[in-house]
Amino acid sequence: MLSVKNSSDGQGGSPVDHTGKRTDEWSECLTLIAQHEDRAAFTRLFRHFAPLMKAFALSGSTLSANHADELVQEVMLKVWQKAGAFNADKAAASTWIYTIARNCRTDLYRRLQKFDTPLSAEDVSESQDSEEAFMLLHQKRSRDRIRTLIKDLPPEQAHILTKVYMAGKTHSEVAADLDLPLGTVKSRVRLALQKLEIQLER
Amino acid sequence: MNDNAVTNFHPGLDLITEFAAGSLPLAQSACVSLHINHCCHCQQTAGQLADLGANLFEAQEPVPVDDTLLHAVLARLDEEKPLEYANKKSTEKGTPAILQRLMRGDFSDLSWKNIGATLRISYLKTGDPDHEVALYHIRAGGRIPQHTHRGTEMTLVLEGGFSDANGSYHKGDFLVRQADDVHAPTALQSEDCICLAVLDAPLKFTDWKFRWMNPFLKLRTN
Ligand SMILES: [Zn+2]
Repeated sequence: MLSVKNSSDGQGGSPVDHTGKRTDEWSECLTLIAQHEDRAAFTRLFRHFAPLMKAFALSGSTLSANHADELVQEVMLKVWQKAGAFNADKAAASTWIYTIARNCRTDLYRRLQKFDTPLSAEDVSESQDSEEAFMLLHQKRSRDRIRTLIKDLPPEQAHILTKVYMAGKTHSEVAADLDLPLGTVKSRVRLALQKLEIQLER
Repeated sequence: MNDNAVTNFHPGLDLITEFAAGSLPLAQSACVSLHINHCCHCQQTAGQLADLGANLFEAQEPVPVDDTLLHAVLARLDEEKPLEYANKKSTEKGTPAILQRLMRGDFSDLSWKNIGATLRISYLKTGDPDHEVALYHIRAGGRIPQHTHRGTEMTLVLEGGFSDANGSYHKGDFLVRQADDVHAPTALQSEDCICLAVLDAPLKFTDWKFRWMNPFLKLRTN
């Protein structure tokens, strides 16, 4: 079994890389925050991501502008506090940040509905535990592919995906919202995923 | 962490998509994540679906955020971090973290309700108002009375295994049964079986000997 060598612990500063490590701007920011508590890097990250988080908060429909701001604050603070757990070998910075925003939004919904639960959204979310080089490479390829292919999705499929993800609605809720049969929603999602080459790996 | 070679039954792509998009109800998410953390295949799919989410997230039309918000956050950066962020690796062997959280202890601390000689049930409190979550403990070779579902039942095998007319299921396997699927699962002969079940409507026993129980089987959400 292959495993990635010297991945998770410190690689001594230099962001350069010849082994395929991600060195995009946002992962650099996260690294600077983790290693140097760099507020300038945090501010850059904030200016890019906070407006996206606000859009994300508001597209969930039921949140007020105040709650949306509260959510942005909470997520950005978490990004700062958890930056040390970010591992550029395992995840894209944007995916890591999106996941935090998604979990915080879910928890906020549940708090507002007075849900009394011992589980947070993070407790029941996916763990990125794999250390296998093959898997990581595979994941990276698929990430690049999604980024390219998503531009060519037919509008109605892109629209459904946005409903599913950004509005955070179940397939049945999307169906009710758009006044479409559930089967139509499911098959549009399925077609879209097929085009993006996302499939069950078994 | 994952000894997953034998897992043969997985959640469908729809379900993993709702899971990755964060729209799946809490109790169902818990069940799906227990499978995913055990199954490298579904982990990979879930990872791709999260990457898709990030792409859609970045493609949104940004909504301007006031600078006062930035300053409010900057002013809070020196706050003490919550302790659990330090090392959130819960890779201990044995009972998965989610279950430990729900059981507030070990299997032996649970309160069980016996149903016949071979089955006992322990209800877990997740706070999800629309779903009942329970552990089913079936003795080796024991049979659950034939029943049907009024809603959707998700099952995850935690220990041992069981079989029904459609197949046999082992540790980590994930199943969904819809309303009106009738089945009578039997635990494997070799060992006891423990499953996690998530229901959105109460079970209904069809076996006449157990029908008297139906009025008592109300959905328990806490
Ligand atoms: Zn699986």
